[in-house]
Amino acid sequence: MRGRREETWAALAFLAPNFLGFVVFTAGPVLFSLAVSFTNWNLQRTIPFQWVRLGNFADLLHDPNFWLYLVNTGYLMLGIPLSIAGSLFLAILLSQRLRGIVAYRTLFYLPTFTSGVAIMILWKALYNPEFGPINAALGWLADTLRVAITAPTWLLSTHNLLGLDVEQVRLTASQWGVGARDALIIMGIWIGIGGSNMLLYLAGISNIPTELVEAAQLDGAGNWSIFRHVTWPQLAPTTFFIVVMSFIGGLQGGFEQARVMTMGGPAGTTTTLAYYIYTKAFEEFQIGYASALSWILFSVIFVVTLINWRVGHRELSY
Amino acid sequence: MLRAFFAGTFLVLLLLSAVAWRLQPRADMAGKTPLVWVSDDNPTRREQIALFNRLHPDLALRLDPGNTGMEKVIVQSLAGVGPDLFDCYDAYQLAAYVRSGVAWDITDRLQEMGIAVEREVWPFLLPIIVKDGRTYGFPTNAAVNAIWFHKDLFDRAGVPYPRGPWTWQQFLQTAKRLTVRDQRGRVRQFGLLADWWNWPQFVIQWGGSVYSPDGTRCTLDSPQAIAGVQFLHDLIYKYRVMPSPVEEAAMATAGGWGSGTITFFAGKKGAMALGARWWLCNMRSYQGLRMGVVECPHGPVRVFRGYGRATLINRNSPRREQALEFLKYEASREYNDLVNHQADALAPVIRYCQGPTYLHDPEFPREDYNAQWREVMDYGQPEQISPFVNGQAASRILNKQLDLIKNDAKPVPAALRDATRQVNEEIARTLERDPALRARYRALTGRERP
Repeated sequence: MRGRREETWAALAFLAPNFLGFVVFTAGPVLFSLAVSFTNWNLQRTIPFQWVRLGNFADLLHDPNFWLYLVNTGYLMLGIPLSIAGSLFLAILLSQRLRGIVAYRTLFYLPTFTSGVAIMILWKALYNPEFGPINAALGWLADTLRVAITAPTWLLSTHNLLGLDVEQVRLTASQWGVGARDALIIMGIWIGIGGSNMLLYLAGISNIPTELVEAAQLDGAGNWSIFRHVTWPQLAPTTFFIVVMSFIGGLQGGFEQARVMTMGGPAGTTTTLAYYIYTKAFEEFQIGYASALSWILFSVIFVVTLINWRVGHRELSY
Repeated sequence: MLRAFFAGTFLVLLLLSAVAWRLQPRADMAGKTPLVWVSDDNPTRREQIALFNRLHPDLALRLDPGNTGMEKVIVQSLAGVGPDLFDCYDAYQLAAYVRSGVAWDITDRLQEMGIAVEREVWPFLLPIIVKDGRTYGFPTNAAVNAIWFHKDLFDRAGVPYPRGPWTWQQFLQTAKRLTVRDQRGRVRQFGLLADWWNWPQFVIQWGGSVYSPDGTRCTLDSPQAIAGVQFLHDLIYKYRVMPSPVEEAAMATAGGWGSGTITFFAGKKGAMALGARWWLCNMRSYQGLRMGVVECPHGPVRVFRGYGRATLINRNSPRREQALEFLKYEASREYNDLVNHQADALAPVIRYCQGPTYLHDPEFPREDYNAQWREVMDYGQPEQISPFVNGQAASRILNKQLDLIKNDAKPVPAALRDATRQVNEEIARTLERDPALRARYRALTGRERP
């Protein structure tokens, strides 16, 4: 009995540092931000501190920028399916027994452990409208195919593939084209394809029982049939995990790109909710409002994850 | 066993704490009091600090370039780990520092030291150090934009060197002759290079204003303001003497210290450039440039944008008394002469910007235009702000509309009308939140909102 109590104390002592860290640096600030979201706290001494109840949340609903930046955030997530599909394709290629496969895997994983800022500065140069290699390649292609195209101005353009308006949540034909948002999506796909998703798929593929593949081969199944009826269903839990995490990452994302590449421009088209939270809290010092924004973002993430979970869970029950 | 493990861990932690305590920087380094100044790192700043430390052997000022940015300074200062001294770039920043209780009111201390800022420094600098009649800092430097030009490029085109005062219409004739295109029609050399953030200068030169004189409403929708910004837009898209954002990106070699426009100008991508004397800090490193300076062209009104930087003291600093010595240094002849010599714009104190030392620096004999820089200072106008709106929020709104203008994505009148409406709505929201400002607004206008 005494030994058991000692063990409990020892376990608690080992857990204590981590638990205390969690309480002080994670749970505490999260709860604090919830409390702050009901106040007008704004670091300005001229304004008396007040509980504003749901005032910040009500203001948010009438804030046109909130809706614009929510749409921006959603738009930038359009690359997620492509990125996931690319990761799967790459993982299948890299799971082949080839000479030097480890080197290939390392190469494709490089963008993940390279500094994000360095990558973004590099892409900024790639997107240079006059002298960037991307437009140079497009120009060469146009010359070769003898077609006339207007090269996109990438990070300088407010245009986008859906024709989203700059100032209101609506579609406008004049905004149709390729612009800064699309440039960020392409860069995101490039970074995402060879990253952690690829590793997860590689691990998933290596866990598929070989007898399933062999049985399918004996039944005369081709590569596509094996992928469709064996590999893809077996990877469903991995895909589900990747989809959930990608959506969470996508909704929280966009800050680094905005800060390093565009400063949220041109005309706010690459400002996401995460960047807007930063602007409100640390540039305009409206901490209460920014906290309310954070909790709205949390709610959006929660609902999207719940939907993912419901839909994904149904698909997983094979 | 477990007990021994925990006791051992505790002892190790205690030992490490003792080592850390021993290694931490002493509050008093060899009899010197350390001071930290949050500012950008560049050769001129380091030289200014070295001179201060030489003149004050009891103090050890060091630069902290890693924590620049208003948000960092405010949050760190409120948390008790802020710097002793920090920079302030405009009246909005000053308002934010004062409101958050970070800036120290030094009105009385300056008076005791015999420093009268209203008389001594350039008038357009006062809004970045004085708020509601109280002084919170001392200017670090002062600048008014003029036109830099390459004598070589003028000689090659056979165009006589410009002489001021002159109007933008006269300027256009010169700029068009100096804009050179290649066989494909692409501009190889622009007549003018200018940073877009100079747009307020065009507003005031056309007789407009960003805000009403009492700051109670945005007035960018006035015909004068629209005409000024329209002219700036036309320099790019109608007269084609200034690069568009796409052409700017094409020239982009930005990097190092200073703005990209300086690099473009020094690389002779433009025959003229709207800039200030502080550009020399960068351009002195280029060999063989033959440059001249002429007063900036004017619109209906002959005024130019004046700006500068100031140093403020952290109100919560335990060494604020010692930090005051740095502001005293900024008012001294030694510092002002150094700033003029370095060409870190112009010295903040008016009386030090004259005389042979300033006009003819023996170390830079080819710089024969210092008198020109001194003359334009008298036409400098301070930045216009409204005390009734958060500067960052207003900037966010204005920058969005100006982005659309700059990219030729929205007509100037529509963009400025929308900007005005949105800034006035932001003023209304600020008044709703802030009862003190609301009372002040009511006293000024008799109304509750714009």
